[in-house]
Amino acid sequence: MARRSVIPDTEDAKMNMTPMIDMTFLLVVFFMLTIDLSSKEFYPVDLPYATQGNEDKDKVGDVKRFVINLSGDGHVYFKTYEFDLASEDPGEQDDAIQALQDSIRQVLGNDPTLIEPDGSSKVPVMIHADWGAKWKYVQWIMQACAHPDIKIYKLQFAVKRPPGMKDK
Amino acid sequence: MALDIPEPEETELNMTPMIDIVFQLIIFFLLSLKFKTIDRRIESMLPKDRGLAPTPTFPEDFLKVKIKAFRRDMKDKNKAYTLLKIDNDANVYKLPQAWKGRLKETPDRIAQYDKIMRSMKTVVQRKMREHGGNPEEVKGEIVAPAPKGGAVPHGDIIQVLNIFLELGMIDVVFEGAATPLTSRERSARAKAGK
Repeated sequence: MARRSVIPDTEDAKMNMTPMIDMTFLLVVFFMLTIDLSSKEFYPVDLPYATQGNEDKDKVGDVKRFVINLSGDGHVYFKTYEFDLASEDPGEQDDAIQALQDSIRQVLGNDPTLIEPDGSSKVPVMIHADWGAKWKYVQWIMQACAHPDIKIYKLQFAVKRPPGMKDK
Repeated sequence: MALDIPEPEETELNMTPMIDIVFQLIIFFLLSLKFKTIDRRIESMLPKDRGLAPTPTFPEDFLKVKIKAFRRDMKDKNKAYTLLKIDNDANVYKLPQAWKGRLKETPDRIAQYDKIMRSMKTVVQRKMREHGGNPEEVKGEIVAPAPKGGAVPHGDIIQVLNIFLELGMIDVVFEGAATPLTSRERSARAKAGK
């Protein structure tokens, strides 16, 4: 059975764009404000758990820290550099640590405002390591930081709060 | 003099390109949005006076509670486990075999792991009290004897460190893996021109 459908005349209908544009701009502003580019320096790892960690917030005046990432298979990621500590050959492992030291020294530079009166560096280093990374690799990284040419003594271990733990 | 101003026609701004750009911006921010994965950190200071020089022996006149960590059955990934010992107690604490990390483990095994840590904490606390009970005067010592101790997972060491910190023992000594080459081996290697 044929039926004549009634199609409304759409020629002159115009959508009012203003509310949509308003909302869209709000979204843009929201994303701009919440974006945290600093998280880009973290390599994705399974962090160890600890109840005693402090909140990862810098106080005013704190020097910006370095993040040294250590993956479960022994790769170190620092800034744009990558080093492999898991080699079978102790000589190559040693080279990797030396290279890490050199790159830390290079990134650290010679800025006198970053040096404490006693000669040590004000820059903290965060060791952002996988729970399964071998402990000796972490120790090597600590030794590299404490090297007399670098003198970074402030360390932070990145940890995760156990699920369900309440805030202090 | 009268000017003949033409009546303005109905002009309309073309919104389409602007909306396109704004959507592109939204998509960019959406994709680059990544929530922070860490929320906690343990802060520490390395000993300033020592530098790279290893401390050969730990002065015996310090009050301390020592936890030793070993890695056992490393050849088989499904059997490897961490063994912990407090001072010279006969008791050893065997962490679950083939531990795959909290994210991948079953609740049973996580509970088992936590139970071991809690019982270790009571022992450490008892030892600390035997040393006078002031947590700041008693050092914690974490020893991972080379060569196998170096293979203990970082997460297990952090858990042990956490025991000390929970008890207020903020002075913790790490002892263990040396650098892959001794300084003598390093200079010999440099001389050989490798």
